[in-house]
Formats: sequence, structure tokens, C-alpha cells
Amino acid sequence: MSYIENIYVCLAAPMFLAILCLRKNSRQSLIFVLSGMTACLLSAYVSTYLAGLTRTDIVTASYEIAPVVEEVIKSLPILFYLLVFEPDKKNTYSGTLMVSLGFATFENVCFLTSYGTSELLRLLIRGFGTGAMHVVCGMVVAVGLFFLWDQIWLQAVGAFALLCFVITFHAIFNLFVNQSGVIFWIGSAIPLIVIFIYMLFLHREVDLS
Amino acid sequence: MLERYGNAIQIATLAVCVTVSLFRAAKYRSRSWTLLSFFYGSWLLGDIYWLNCLLFYGETPHISVVSDLSWYAALIFLYMLLRKISPPEELRDASPVSWLGPAFTIGMAVFFMIRGEIISNLIYAGLMGLLLFAAIRRLIPEDRTEQSCLPTMILIYCLLEYSLWTSSCFWNDAALFQPYYIFDLLLTMCFPFLIPAIGKAVTT
Repeated sequence: MSYIENIYVCLAAPMFLAILCLRKNSRQSLIFVLSGMTACLLSAYVSTYLAGLTRTDIVTASYEIAPVVEEVIKSLPILFYLLVFEPDKKNTYSGTLMVSLGFATFENVCFLTSYGTSELLRLLIRGFGTGAMHVVCGMVVAVGLFFLWDQIWLQAVGAFALLCFVITFHAIFNLFVNQSGVIFWIGSAIPLIVIFIYMLFLHREVDLS
Repeated sequence: MLERYGNAIQIATLAVCVTVSLFRAAKYRSRSWTLLSFFYGSWLLGDIYWLNCLLFYGETPHISVVSDLSWYAALIFLYMLLRKISPPEELRDASPVSWLGPAFTIGMAVFFMIRGEIISNLIYAGLMGLLLFAAIRRLIPEDRTEQSCLPTMILIYCLLEYSLWTSSCFWNDAALFQPYYIFDLLLTMCFPFLIPAIGKAVTT
């Protein structure tokens, strides 16, 4: 059994101190990373609680409960930032990615402590796959939110729809990586391919000014 | 087994539709095409999730929230697409006939709730009611100058969806020519027709 709150304290402490010392932009980025890690910790608690409540086993919970909980909690820091600070597109876009980064990093650290560090290849695929999946989910929400709708109420409804979209993407990813062999490889490769296509064709199209 | 084949055909059709609409979204830098891509994408992801649960574990998800969320998202994207294409002045004065849409979905929701879940049926009724209301309203404007292709397609899509759901309540045996599979196939065939409908609406 691993105590993820202890791991969290260990990782968050130096970050917290750095946040106090850093200046504006770097501080903001680090706050987002820390928020992502906190969201990951909270979602682990909530997912475990809901799995117990619905009497669902760990594997089933990973593709039926965890994606919903993780994506909803991951979106909360950005939602707070959007509502309170009314930031511009560029800051929100990078903030969303930083939250995803923090979330994926903490999740991977917890994975390492639970399953060991002996299989480098599997960890490499896991690291890239999970990281890419969280970044893709964050990117879809951030890009969709700013480029599809102008009116505020449309953005709110649209944000819900985008959240539903990324929850399903996340659930499919978890469904695939729970399997072994080729299916595990395909599952891990899907988010990487999406990022690759985005960087190749769409990155320049996205106007953040 | 037939359900899996039906899902696989739908996934293949939707994958082609997503590719085409994404290509057009990138080519014309159009929000309408992007919204259509999201509609197809959401529906596709819901189908993939459902089919893979069947393939990997031999059963449909115990908690069917994930697929439902995806299909809710698809309906929201379709409604937003219709709103984007509709001129604002048309949205204010709705004909009384438009209210037939929500009335129909509420009636059907009561029917489905007696037989199944309550919350998901209520959400579907709300979203479908909104979609039907918007489609009918656009079909009968006071001065009929608008393209009616897209609202007609959405109307057909909604009716096929309701036919599919209703048939699933009465026919559960795995026979090829039972109404459920026929409506499922018709729904699958309906998806590609949204592409020319959007094309016409965007051009207009």
C-alpha cells in the first residue's frame, strides 16, 4: 500500500517554497503544476470513495469512474482561474496544459511507487502515454473553449460538452491500457498520435493573441 | 453478436465522417465544420467505448455514465451547430408548432422512465427537446428564405433515434430483420447526410 498523501507532501513542499520565491509568470506556471498535482490527489480519494460506494472493483473503476472524476476535478483549477481572474487566451491555454502536466506527473509518480521501477520500456510507454493523454484532454478543452464560442453562456454549455468529450477519450485510453500486449501499445500510442497530428497540422492555426 | 457488427459499422461510418468534417474544418477554418467534427467525434468515442467494453469484458458497462456523457455532448454540439447557422432574429419568435418537439420528448421520456432509468432519460429528453425545438423552428420561419436541409436532417436524425430507443423496448431478440437493427442501420446511414446539409447551410 502506498500513502499518496505522503508522496504529495514530499513533492509539493519544494514547489511551494519555489512559488514563494519566484516572480510573476514562473510563479503562475508552478501554481498550475501544483494545482494539477493536488487535483490528482483529490481525484484519487473521490474515485476510491465512489468505487467503494458502488462496489466496483479497481479495474472496472479505472474505466468507468476514474475518468469522470479525474477530468471533472482537473478542470476545477482552470475554471476557478477563468472565473476569478478573467485571463487572456494565451495564459488560459498554457495554464490548462500546466495543470494537465502536474496531474500526469503526480499520477506517474504514484504508479512508480505502486508497481515498481524495474521495467523501463513499460514505464517509458506509460510515461509518454499517460502524459500525452492528459495533455490532449487539457488541450481539447482549452482550444475548444476559446475558439468555438463567443458568448459566455455558450462557453459554459460548450465547456460541459467538451468535458464529456475528454472524459470518454480518457475512459477509452484507460480501457486500452488495462489490457496487455498489442492493445496496450495501441492505447498508449493513440494520445501520442493525436499530439503529433496537432503539432503537425493545427498548432500554427491556433491563434492565441 | 449482431449488436457488435452494428456498432462496428457505425464506428466505421463515423470515422469517415469525422475525417471528412475535420478536413473541411481545417481547409475552410470554419467553426461550423469544427462543431460537426465534435458531434461526430463525440458519437464515435461513445460507440468505441461501448464496443470495447463488449469486446474486452463481454458485457456493456455497469455504470453507463461514460458513453451517455459522450452522447449528451454529441447532442449539445449538434444544437450549437444549428444555433450557429441560424440567424439571430429567427430565434426570438418561435412558432407554436415548434413546441411539439419538446412535448413529444417529454411524453417519450415518461414512457422510457417507466421502463428504465430516470436521470439519463430526463437529460436525453431535455437535449432532444431542445434540438427538435430548434430544428422545427428553423423549418417554419415566417418568411421562408432559409435553407431547410440541415433542420430536416436533424429532424430525421432525432426521429430515427427515438424509433431506435422505442424498438429496443419491445424487441430484444438477436434476429437480423427486427426493427431495432433496421433503425440502427438507418441511423448509421443518416450520419453522412449531415455533411452535405452543413455544406449547403454554410454556403448559404
